[in-house]
Amino acid sequence: MHHAYLDKYANQNSFFHRLDSRVKFLAALIYTILILSIPPRSAAVVFCYVVAPFGMLVWAGIPIGFVARRILAVSPFVLVLALSCPFFDQTPYLLRLGDITFQLSGGWMRCFTILAKFAATMLTLFALTCTTRFTDMLAGLQQMQCPSILIVQLSFVYRYLFVLVDRVHHILRARAARKLRYLGLRQEIRIAAIMIAALFIQSLESAERIYRAMQGRGFTGSFHALKPIRINRRDIYFIFVFIGICIFLHSIMRIWLNELNGV
Amino acid sequence: MHMANELISFPVAGVSIGIAGGVLGWICKSIRQDIVSEKAAVMGVLGAFVFAAQMVNFQLPLMPGTSGHLIGAVFLAVILGPHLAAVVLSSVVIIQCLLFQDGGLLAIGCNLLNIAIIPSYIGYYVYRLAAGNMQNKSRYLAGAIVACVIAALAGSAMVVLQTTISGVLLIPPVLFLATMAGVHLLVGIMEGMITVAILGYLASVRPDLIAGLTASRAVLSRNGALISLAVMTLITAAGFSLLASDKPDGLEWSYLERPEQPDFKPVVANSDQRMDAADKLHSKIAVMPDYSLGNTSELHSASAGWTSVAGIVGSAVCMGLIWLTAKLIRPRRA
Repeated sequence: MHHAYLDKYANQNSFFHRLDSRVKFLAALIYTILILSIPPRSAAVVFCYVVAPFGMLVWAGIPIGFVARRILAVSPFVLVLALSCPFFDQTPYLLRLGDITFQLSGGWMRCFTILAKFAATMLTLFALTCTTRFTDMLAGLQQMQCPSILIVQLSFVYRYLFVLVDRVHHILRARAARKLRYLGLRQEIRIAAIMIAALFIQSLESAERIYRAMQGRGFTGSFHALKPIRINRRDIYFIFVFIGICIFLHSIMRIWLNELNGV
Repeated sequence: MHMANELISFPVAGVSIGIAGGVLGWICKSIRQDIVSEKAAVMGVLGAFVFAAQMVNFQLPLMPGTSGHLIGAVFLAVILGPHLAAVVLSSVVIIQCLLFQDGGLLAIGCNLLNIAIIPSYIGYYVYRLAAGNMQNKSRYLAGAIVACVIAALAGSAMVVLQTTISGVLLIPPVLFLATMAGVHLLVGIMEGMITVAILGYLASVRPDLIAGLTASRAVLSRNGALISLAVMTLITAAGFSLLASDKPDGLEWSYLERPEQPDFKPVVANSDQRMDAADKLHSKIAVMPDYSLGNTSELHSASAGWTSVAGIVGSAVCMGLIWLTAKLIRPRRA
């Protein structure tokens, strides 16, 4: 596993990558809240909200195919629950386009809305994480008064994630080379347990070495960022455009829903 | 089972983020004294270890092509104690959200509670209760299995509780609970078996790890464990008894209009003019006004149908344009 497998697009350089991580984090949070505030059964409205994160991803140079594959990979739980909706809500729902009418049940509308919202909030999350280095994100969170123990913990996990995952790949390859058939549950579990236990002991030992090395370099219990993060003109532009988009989408939604309700 | 944003409502998301944040903050504050930076390195590396250990899969019987893996909550709680385990697992959940995009940004409170905090505390206390004073090996191994099963069930019950309170899904809570509990019973048993196997191996290879850690962790009194377990059981039971009843709860019942009793006056009725004005103002400025989309008789008008189509097509055209501009602007790479 290469080091830059998970967040390989976060280290690029574009307008969005250079934004302050705090600004992006808050913007993603607010946008997610806006998307979730759309009432159920109005799937079409959600589509308008997809445009902005999509644009951010595309302009930042992140391949949409990659994002779509990752969204599919995390979707099964939501998919199953959303598909259960049509069974429990059978209220008829008539969609009319001129002369053509579609008969749907309210459950299907609900299901579509949940899936559309899932896609939209996921795109928002990707727009945040694919354009922000994890270390920058942590520095921003620290500025926003996250407990420092948690920040130190997160940055440690991030640093050693790749080391240990690499080690596990070696162990898994060794097992694949030696174990050629299914050995029965008991034996399978025993093998996996021994692998994990060995990995656990190794991790503890390397943690001791790391601690000694860090002490040798004068670690005091918190990380320091090389360059201070501050808001500059780029961020101001982004904030203004973001607020504009939010107001625009929100007013569209209200007009639209009023029309749907025949107000 | 990571919760997604869409399955919970704002109040649930807000309250759960509040609770999870409060608990995490409290843990961080209370362990700051006894954590020297040595523990920081151990905790960090163990967080990465959880990711790595979750990649070690083993084939399951009867279902070809499926595989199980360790989740690690109870294992860490047993080895590290509940506070440290909760912090390590919370960091894992946060990284799963921010790096693997697993679980939503607003649902992170729910995920922290369901996956990190509740399993590590419940798992630890159940284990302490079952394992006794660590003299009897078969007893503490059995305790680990029981702890895993109960922790998995508690996490799944929390998922049901949160989605049902949110009211986004329409599955009857009892059915949902039965399904989730069934699945998580199996998950818990698998988790328990592999946890026991790991603990057994560690006890024979590095007995100092288990003995040393358990000796220092044995401060928890049996009474403390019993009391905390009882409190958690009470909370869970109360939650479910609320869920299980289809009847409106007491408050709703008191102000509900009753069509079958025309002469019934709602107990909580407020016909004050100022109240109406406040309601109007609220519906004007609220992010999510109360739209009554639930009526069966309600149909889309013709123009509304077209508006929906226009919205979808317009969005698609916008995205196409954005994509094109990006193609044109982006410098060509070799």
